[in-house]
Amino acid sequence: MSKELLETGMLSVFVFVRWSKEAIRRHWPALGKGILIKSGTGVRRWCILLGSGRPKMEIPVYSMAPGLRPWSIFILLTWPAVAQQKPDEPRALSVYPFTVEPGTDFRVTVRGNGIKAARAIHHAAPGLTFTIENAESETGVPRNPAELLTVRVVVAASAAPGIYPFRVLTPGGVSNALSLRVSGTPVTREPDGVHDEAPQAVNLPNLPAVLTGRIAKRGESDLYALDARAGESITFKVASGLPSIGAPGGNSNGFDPSLTLYEAGGSWFDPKRLNRVAFNDEPLWVLGELTDAHMVHRFTRTGRYYLRVDAFSGQGGPDYGYELAILPGAGSPARPEPPGAWSERRFDRPLTLTRMNELALRGARKAETSSIETYRAGATVKLPAAVDGVLEKPGAADRVTFTIDGPTDLAIELETPATRPPEFNPYARLLDARGEEVATTISVGRGACTGAMTKSLQAKLILPVRDPGTYTVEVRETTQDLADPDFRYRLVIRPQVPHVGQVSVADDHLNLTPGAARTVRVLFDREEDYRGAIAVSFENLPPGVTALAGADFEPDKDPPMHPGKRERYVARQERSVAMLEAAADAPPSAAPVMARVKVRPVLDGKVGQVIYEREIPMMVISKP
Amino acid sequence: MKIAFVAILAPLGVWAAAPGRPVTFTRDIAAILTKNGCNSAACHGGVKGRGGFKLSAGGLHPKDDYDWIMKGGVYQVLTDQVKGERIARVDLKEPERSLLLTKPWNTTPHGGGRRFERDSEDSRTILRWLQAGAPLGADGPRLARLEIAPALATMAVGGSAQLRVTAHYSDGTKEDASRQVLYAPNDGDVVSVDAAGRVTGKQLGETAVLIRAAGHVASAAVGVIGPPVTGYRKPAANNFIDEFIFRKLERFQIVPSETGSDGEFLRRVCLDLTGTLPPVERTREFLASRDPARREKVIDALLGSPEFADYWTFRFADVFRVAIFANGLTPKWSQKYWEWIRANVESNRPYDEVARERLSAQGYGPASRHFIPYNQLGTPADMMAEEVRVFFGRRLDCAQCHNHPYENWSQDQFWGMAAFFGRMFKMGPIVFDHPETMHLGSKDVNGKMELLHPRTKVPVRPAFLEGRTPAIGAATNPRQDLAAWMTRHPYFAEAAVNRIWGHFFSRGIVDPVDDFRSTNPPTHPELLAALAQDFRSGGHNLRRLMKTITMSRAYQLSSSPNASNRTDRVNYSRSLPRALDAEVLLDAVVAVTGVEETFTTAVTDNSAVGQAPARTRAINLKDPDMYFSRFLELYGRPSRGAIPERSGKPNLAQAMHMLAGATYVERLSGKDSRLARLLGAGASNGDIFEEFYLAALARRPEPEELRDLNQLLAARGDREAGLREFVWALISSREFAENH
Repeated sequence: MSKELLETGMLSVFVFVRWSKEAIRRHWPALGKGILIKSGTGVRRWCILLGSGRPKMEIPVYSMAPGLRPWSIFILLTWPAVAQQKPDEPRALSVYPFTVEPGTDFRVTVRGNGIKAARAIHHAAPGLTFTIENAESETGVPRNPAELLTVRVVVAASAAPGIYPFRVLTPGGVSNALSLRVSGTPVTREPDGVHDEAPQAVNLPNLPAVLTGRIAKRGESDLYALDARAGESITFKVASGLPSIGAPGGNSNGFDPSLTLYEAGGSWFDPKRLNRVAFNDEPLWVLGELTDAHMVHRFTRTGRYYLRVDAFSGQGGPDYGYELAILPGAGSPARPEPPGAWSERRFDRPLTLTRMNELALRGARKAETSSIETYRAGATVKLPAAVDGVLEKPGAADRVTFTIDGPTDLAIELETPATRPPEFNPYARLLDARGEEVATTISVGRGACTGAMTKSLQAKLILPVRDPGTYTVEVRETTQDLADPDFRYRLVIRPQVPHVGQVSVADDHLNLTPGAARTVRVLFDREEDYRGAIAVSFENLPPGVTALAGADFEPDKDPPMHPGKRERYVARQERSVAMLEAAADAPPSAAPVMARVKVRPVLDGKVGQVIYEREIPMMVISKP
Repeated sequence: MKIAFVAILAPLGVWAAAPGRPVTFTRDIAAILTKNGCNSAACHGGVKGRGGFKLSAGGLHPKDDYDWIMKGGVYQVLTDQVKGERIARVDLKEPERSLLLTKPWNTTPHGGGRRFERDSEDSRTILRWLQAGAPLGADGPRLARLEIAPALATMAVGGSAQLRVTAHYSDGTKEDASRQVLYAPNDGDVVSVDAAGRVTGKQLGETAVLIRAAGHVASAAVGVIGPPVTGYRKPAANNFIDEFIFRKLERFQIVPSETGSDGEFLRRVCLDLTGTLPPVERTREFLASRDPARREKVIDALLGSPEFADYWTFRFADVFRVAIFANGLTPKWSQKYWEWIRANVESNRPYDEVARERLSAQGYGPASRHFIPYNQLGTPADMMAEEVRVFFGRRLDCAQCHNHPYENWSQDQFWGMAAFFGRMFKMGPIVFDHPETMHLGSKDVNGKMELLHPRTKVPVRPAFLEGRTPAIGAATNPRQDLAAWMTRHPYFAEAAVNRIWGHFFSRGIVDPVDDFRSTNPPTHPELLAALAQDFRSGGHNLRRLMKTITMSRAYQLSSSPNASNRTDRVNYSRSLPRALDAEVLLDAVVAVTGVEETFTTAVTDNSAVGQAPARTRAINLKDPDMYFSRFLELYGRPSRGAIPERSGKPNLAQAMHMLAGATYVERLSGKDSRLARLLGAGASNGDIFEEFYLAALARRPEPEELRDLNQLLAARGDREAGLREFVWALISSREFAENH
C-alpha cells in the first residue's frame, strides 16, 4: 500500500477481484501497481483506484448492498489509448496556448514525454509553420517531470480558421496528435501573474473575443472583466485543452472548466464583494459529451462584470490550458464530433431519407434509388417510413401504424435532431394489433455487480416480426413530466438492410523498427445480420513496410450474467487483423508517411465501395 | 349537559362505563387494554408482542387485536404467517378461566404482574363482554378523537389540577373517558399523574402528559410555576410571535430577559441569517447609530445580501443532503443539485414550489440529482421516509417493518406512502417513473415495476397517510400527486416554520425539529399554528418568515438569564446560546484572524488533487466529501450520508485542536494576519483589543476586561507574543464559539 494512500486516512485493502488471470495480465500495465478496492470512511462504498503508483482516479464500483461481497464485483475497464503508448515512443501531453489567429508569429510550449530530442513538428496545416526553438526538462515539478518544447508558430494571414493537428517527430518516431486552433477572432493571451481578484482582472477586449489561458496550479482561477449593457446577451464558452473524463479522448486527469459570472455589486459585509450572477459547468460527465462550459447570459443591468474560469473541484497544472470565447448574442453549445464518418447508434446521427441507399452501399448491395417517405404522427404509413414529430406536451405519445403481410425483419431507429439525451430521452415501442408490447428501444438487463434490473435507452432496435398484421409504433419521452418544443425526433421504420456499421482503427500512429511487425486491428459491426466480409487494404506504406493478413489472440471474456437478447440492440462486433511488417533493411523514415487504411464490404464475391478511410502517420525508426 | 354532569361526577368515582350499553371489544375492551398498558410498546404492543401474545401498539388495530385474543398466536415482522401454537386468550364456556382475565389478575403467572383486581370495574366489563359472546362490535361507533381539558394546566409545586378527557365517537356521541385512559407524563420529575387524571406538581418546569386511549394518543401541557412575580410586566410585543410567547411566560410567571444589546443583536442576527460575523466597521456604525429602525434595516440588508444566499444554500444543502464522495466520476451530479438549491435561495423561490419540484423530480434536471447522490436510487421506503422527515417533520421509519410503536402510523400507511416512489427508476443519468403497464424492454426480463408489501407480498398501491388512494395513471408520475398533497397538507407548513424557528431559537417549537408526534407535543401549539398560517398566507416565503422571526422581541431578548428564567429552556424567555456549526466557526476564525483557509480535495499530492479557489469560505464548499478539512471533521461536519443532526457538543479532540491545531495556532503568526496588519500600522494595545473584540464578539471590551488584558500583556513582557496569546484566547473562548 502506498504512502499516499495511507495518508488519506481511509481504510484501504487489497482485494482479489474476479478477473481472469489473462485479464489482469493485460490490464496490469495500465493499472500501475494494481487494483485497489477501498472502503470510504464510515460508508459502504467500493472503488477501483487507477493510476501508476498512486491513485489518480477512482471508479466507483458499487455502493455496497447488504450481503454483497467485494469479490463478487466484476468490472470491465476501458483505458484510454494513450495509456497503451509504448514507453519509448514520444508522447505529447499538451500544447499551450492552443489557439492562434492568422497573421501572427508567436511561441507555444509543447509538454510531453520522450520529446526532448524532437527534431521537427509534423503537420499538414496550410499556412502554419512550426519551428522548434528549445527543448528542456521540466523543473520545479515534484513528481513525474515532463519535457518541454518551445515551438515558434507562424500563422499566415491566409490561414483559414479551423483545428489543425500536429505531431512531434523524434528519433523514437512520431507522437500522438495535438491540435492548434486557428481562430477567426482576434486572440488575446492571458497575461502572466495571478489575476483572481477584481483589481487584477484581465480586461476583455471588444467582443467578439477569444482568450487563451491556463489554470497553472491547483486552486487557481482566472478573472476577466467586461462591461455589459442591460438587455444585452453574451455567450461565454470555454474549451479545455485537456479533455476530461467522459469527453471524447478524455482522461482522469483532464481539465473540466467551469464559468462563473459576477457583478461588482458589493454587500453589506464587503463593499468590494463580487456577486455571483450566473454559473455554468455543463454538461455533466456523460460519456461521449464534452465537459466544456457554455453559458449564455442576458444582462439585466448595465455595468461592470467579471468572468471567472476555473477547473471543476479546483484542479490545475501545466496541461490545464483553455480557450475562452466571448461572443455577442446567444450562441449554441459545441457538440463533440461523431467518432467517425459513419455513426450507427447515436441519437444525433442523421437519419436521411436516402438511408436505405446508404445502408445498401455499406452492405455491398445495389443502391436503392427511392427515398424514404415522410409522415406525421397519427398516420398510417408504408414501410420504409420516416416520421417527424415533436413531444411538446408532457406525457404525449405519438403513434403511427403500419401493416406487414408476412414475416419481416424490422429496424426501428430514432434520431433527436435538436435536444438529445440525456435532456430528451425518447423511446419507441412496437405494439401489436391488441396493443401488446412487442419490443421497445429500451434495453433491459441485469447489472453485472448486483443482479439488479438495468435499462438503457437505445437509438436503434432490430427484431424479426413473424406474424403478419397491423402494428403500431409509439414514441414517448421517458419521463412523464418533461416536454419541450425542441423535443423533436425522427422515427424511421424500415426493413432491415444487412450492412457494415461502425468501423474503427484503434491506432493513432505507428512507429516500426526494421525487422519488427505491428498489429493493426480493424473493428467493425455486423449490422442487421450482415453476413459478408470486409476487405482491408493499406496504401502509401513507408518503403520497406508491407501489410500481411494476420490473426491475434483475444482471451475469452466472462459471459455477462444475464445477456438477454442483446442482438436487438447491440451489433455483433468483429475484428479484422492486419500485420504491418518492416523489412530488416527498411530505410528509416525521414518524416511520417501518411498511410491510408481503407475498408470495403464484400458480399457474394462482390467488393463494395470504400466505407471507411483513414490516414495514419507511420514511420520506420532506427533501432535504439 | 351530559358532559358537564359526568365531569362533575368523575372525580367522585361515581362514573361507570356506559351503563346499559352492550360491551364491545372495539369500544370497551380495547380501552381497558390501553388503560392498563397491556398494548404498550414495552409489553404486548411491542413489535413481536410478549409472552406469545401480540397486540397492536396502543390499540391502533382493534380488528387485529381481536383476532389475536380470540385465536392467539405470535406475530412475525416480515410475513403474515403466524408463528408457533395458537392459544386463544378467551374461554367462552368458562369466561372466568379466560387468560384475558387470569393473566392480569396474575392468577396465571404473568410477566407483567397484576394489572387489575378481580373486583374491579375492568374485570366486570371484560366478564360481561365474554358472557355476551365476546362481540367485536366492528359496526359500532369508533373512537374518533380525544379532547383534553385544560389543554394547558398550571399549578404550583405541590398543587394539582384535574385533566378531563372526553372521547368523541364516530356517530357524534361523546363520553367522559377520564378514567378509561392511560396517563403518562413525559417528564416524571416535574409532575405525577394518577389513574384518574389528577396531575400534581413536583418541581418547577414544564412537560406534557400523554393520554392514551385505544388507537389514539393526545397530550396536555402542564406547567409547574413558581410563586407569582410581584408587579410582573409583560414586555411590549413587536409582532404576533411575541403575543404568544409573552402570554405564556406571564401565565408561567417567568420574567423574560431584557432585550439584548445592539452588539448582541447584531452578532446574533448576522450569524443566524448569513453565518457571517459582522465586519468591524459595520459594528462600529451600528453601535453608534441612534436610528430607531436600525435593527429592521440591518435585517433587511442581511436578508438581501449575497451572504444570505451563501449561508442558506449551505443550510439547505445540509437538510437536502448535497453529498457525493469525491470518486472522480459523479460529484458533478451533486454540484448541479447544489446550484439548484442556490438558485432557489437566491430567488427566494416559494418553499412549496421547491418541495414540489424535488419530490416529483424526473429526468436529468438538478432536482432529480437528489435521488441519486450515489449513482443509484435508494429504496422506495428510504426515499419516502426522507421526504416525509424533511417536508413533514415526521419520522415514519419505524412503521416500515411494523406498526409504529409510539405513533399512529401503521405499516400499511408506510408502504402506501412508499408506493409513490415504487416506480422510480434510474436509466443512465436520468430518473423516471416506470410506466406500470409497460415492460419497456426485453421479454427475457420482467421489466414491470411493482412494490410488494413486505408482510403480505401483495402489490401496494400509492395511498396518502389518511388512506386515500389517488387516481394515478399507469404512465404518469405518481409523485406529482404526492407533491401536491404534501405541500397542501397542514403538516408541510408547520414542519417548515418549525425547522426555521429551530434555527433561530436553538430549539424547535417541536423539538427535534423533524420529530413531530403526538408524544412530542409542541411547547407553543397556537404559535406554531399562527406561524404556519402566516407562512401559507405569505406564499411560503422563507425570507418573510425569517424577517417575522428576527423582528420579534422574543428573538431579540438577551441571552443573559435572570433569576426567574435561569432554568427555562423551552419558553424562549431568553436567547439560548448555541455552538456555531463547524463551517461557520471556521469562517469566523478566518474572519477574525485574517488568515485564509485552504481546502484541497485530498491530502495526497498528485496532479489530480484539486483545491478550492482562494478565499473560499467553508460554508461555500458544495460537497463535504470533496474537500478535506481536519477542523471541520473535528467540529462535526456531517457527511450528509443521512439527514444531518449536528449536536454542537464539544469533545476532547476539539480541545486538543484548539491548543495545538493548525486552525488556531498557525493563524496567530500569519504575516498577512489582522494582528500583523495592526502591529505594522503601529496600533496601540487598546486599539488592538478593541478591534479584535469588535471582530470576534461585536462588542467592545468591558473596562474590567481591558484592565485585565493590559495587566496580562505587561506581565508577559513580549508584546507581540502576548497579543498572539490574546487572539488565541479570544477565538478559543466560548463566547466566540457560540451564537448567543
